[in-house]
Amino acid sequence: MMGMGALEWLISLLLSPQVFAPLIFPGLATALVVLLTVIWAERKIAARVQMRVGPLYVTRRFGGVLQMLADGTRYMFQEFIIPETCDKPYFVFAPILALTLAILPFAFIPAAPGFSPVKSPLSLLGALAVTSAVPLAVLLMGWSSENKFAIQGAVREAFMTVAYEAVVFISALAMGVAYGTLDLEEAVLRQRLPGVLLNPVSAFVFFVGMVMSSGKLPFDIVEGEQEIVAGPYVEYSGIIFGIGMGLAYLKLYAFSLLFSLLYLAGWEPLPAPLYNLYPALGGVLLFAKAYLVMLFVVFLRSVYGRYRLDQALRAGWRVYFPLALLSVLISVVVRVVGYA
Amino acid sequence: MRARLLAREGGEEVYELFIGPQHPSSGHMRFIVRLEGDVIVSVDPDIGYVHRTMEKLAEGREAIKVIPLLERMTIIDSHNVTIGLVRAMEKLLDVEPPPRARYLRTLLSEMNRIASHLYGIGIAGIMLNHSTMFMWAFGDREVWLQLAEELTGARLTHTYSIPGGVRRDLPQGFAEKAEKAIRYMERRLEEYKRIFLENPQVVARYEGVGVLRRHEASRLGVVGPNLRASGVRYDARLAEDYAAYSEVEFEVPTFEEGDAYARMRQRVEEIKQSMSIIRQVLRKMPSGPFFAEKYLRLLPPKLRDQVLSTGRLKFPAIFATMKLPQGEAVARAEMGHGEIFYHIISDGGSKPYRLRVVTPSFRNVILFRYLMPGHRFMDFPAIYGSLDYFPPEADR
Repeated sequence: MMGMGALEWLISLLLSPQVFAPLIFPGLATALVVLLTVIWAERKIAARVQMRVGPLYVTRRFGGVLQMLADGTRYMFQEFIIPETCDKPYFVFAPILALTLAILPFAFIPAAPGFSPVKSPLSLLGALAVTSAVPLAVLLMGWSSENKFAIQGAVREAFMTVAYEAVVFISALAMGVAYGTLDLEEAVLRQRLPGVLLNPVSAFVFFVGMVMSSGKLPFDIVEGEQEIVAGPYVEYSGIIFGIGMGLAYLKLYAFSLLFSLLYLAGWEPLPAPLYNLYPALGGVLLFAKAYLVMLFVVFLRSVYGRYRLDQALRAGWRVYFPLALLSVLISVVVRVVGYA
Repeated sequence: MRARLLAREGGEEVYELFIGPQHPSSGHMRFIVRLEGDVIVSVDPDIGYVHRTMEKLAEGREAIKVIPLLERMTIIDSHNVTIGLVRAMEKLLDVEPPPRARYLRTLLSEMNRIASHLYGIGIAGIMLNHSTMFMWAFGDREVWLQLAEELTGARLTHTYSIPGGVRRDLPQGFAEKAEKAIRYMERRLEEYKRIFLENPQVVARYEGVGVLRRHEASRLGVVGPNLRASGVRYDARLAEDYAAYSEVEFEVPTFEEGDAYARMRQRVEEIKQSMSIIRQVLRKMPSGPFFAEKYLRLLPPKLRDQVLSTGRLKFPAIFATMKLPQGEAVARAEMGHGEIFYHIISDGGSKPYRLRVVTPSFRNVILFRYLMPGHRFMDFPAIYGSLDYFPPEADR
């Protein structure tokens, strides 16, 4: 009897949003699956465009889908080298901090109506604030490596943060103005018209900011392989290097969820039977939308090369910043005209 | 230009980076790049990492064996790199290739040129992290490699031209295959334009970057597409009459801008011209032997008949010990990267007494020093890619 009670208690604990959301969906476990499949999809899409077959070595019958798992396993068993010259405590601590900060936004992101670990009227701001702290950890990674390329990369990260942060915040807040709330759950409920139709300028600017933030082409400036080898991650090896590489995709995943919530009507239309079975399952459509957004972002790699740092900065401040302000104006007009 | 060169070097505010020899985009060499903030103050190209003593090695082997050796300098352009050598040896030996051989040489040279330019475009693509351009160019290069294999029996190390002619005759049905390849390439060049050359992101990276003025280009002794993209109409195919270039019609495209963008478009225009030359060559291909009568006569009758009927030359031992008459000869040829120059001195033995080769990449490497200062650090790979610089060729 005692055992049964403990098991039930454990299951109910696991299924409570406070545990399920950050650990399983949309948090850690799902993020891991996303990481493995999106990178695979990115390589497959690029391969298709480039007349190749892409990864096929591992699980050939399934199109090499487990290649990333194999790579990850290899990272796991690879020696983690700590260079003599680096600032050791920071060198080891920074990637852990980065990973923690990259996972934190999932605490604010609701997967389905009423299903979010931290209910807050400011969940949009919370999620954005946490994501914008990741670059600090990356800066620390680059700086503590004591490597010329890593420091260059860290400086680039700082510059890029300056370029996209204001753009992302203002364009997201424009939607806050349009919906009259900074609560992501409320924002979805108030989208009678998907945000992308309501304020396309804001959607576009947020999208560009999100590509910049997650360091995907044409803005993969921080890693800058052709100039600075791997930027802030150049001295890292083994699983920590894998984490560094995964960081960008985690950020992309968090931003894609935010994009889907703000502009693509989130989990609407809600699949009621699934939702009634278990609330988190109501987030299936949200996940599908976010996944499509991610696929589109990684597809850009097949089309673009890399912009120059100063071009990205100029674009951020001279093009996207004014556009973000314009999107606020549009939202104000929408509000005054009386959409909400 | 002077102001750019006189920028201060050293000092507290200068950040020195060693790019290479183990670096994703250094190639087989090292660059010492000095930065002030994000702006390049100076670049020192440090060459010699793949120096293989080609000239010295050439002195140690029989003349005919020098050809496959020197192919290794620019393995991606191996016919163009050795045709100058073959011409110089022919001048010493006083032998002329028959017309059909001259046309066949032109044919392979132009196929090589296309493959070499595609290689350059692909590398330039990946230097901007444009992986699609990289994969496309390298994939389409395969078309020309297979065509070259069809003609010569080897994908890269053709050793096709030899003193007195070529090693193999045109295979059956080659013209149709070449025409198919040309049509495919014409279609692909349009697609390159859409994905790369007219892609706003790529144009933003190339336009106005690494400008090489006309007078600077000629003063620095730059050669090849890099020179022509700066508005100088110089091409060794016109300057020195070799192969069948005087009998086909082609234009030497030039651009006035002299920037990285012009250099990239220059290569595309040259691919178009090369394809036009291949078409003309296949149309005008004269009949007759593909090897000089003077040497064919040396073959035993049975072997001679076999060579003429199969269209494949088997080397008799006599070639290996062939003596180069005493004297000197010079020759030049236009490679994909630019003009290559050969100077052979012979003391009458079977091995060259001295062989001097000046390669186009060696002449172009100076550009790293001149074009980079004043640009952003991220322009470094963009300019490098646009120069189509090939370290093993420069180092020899």
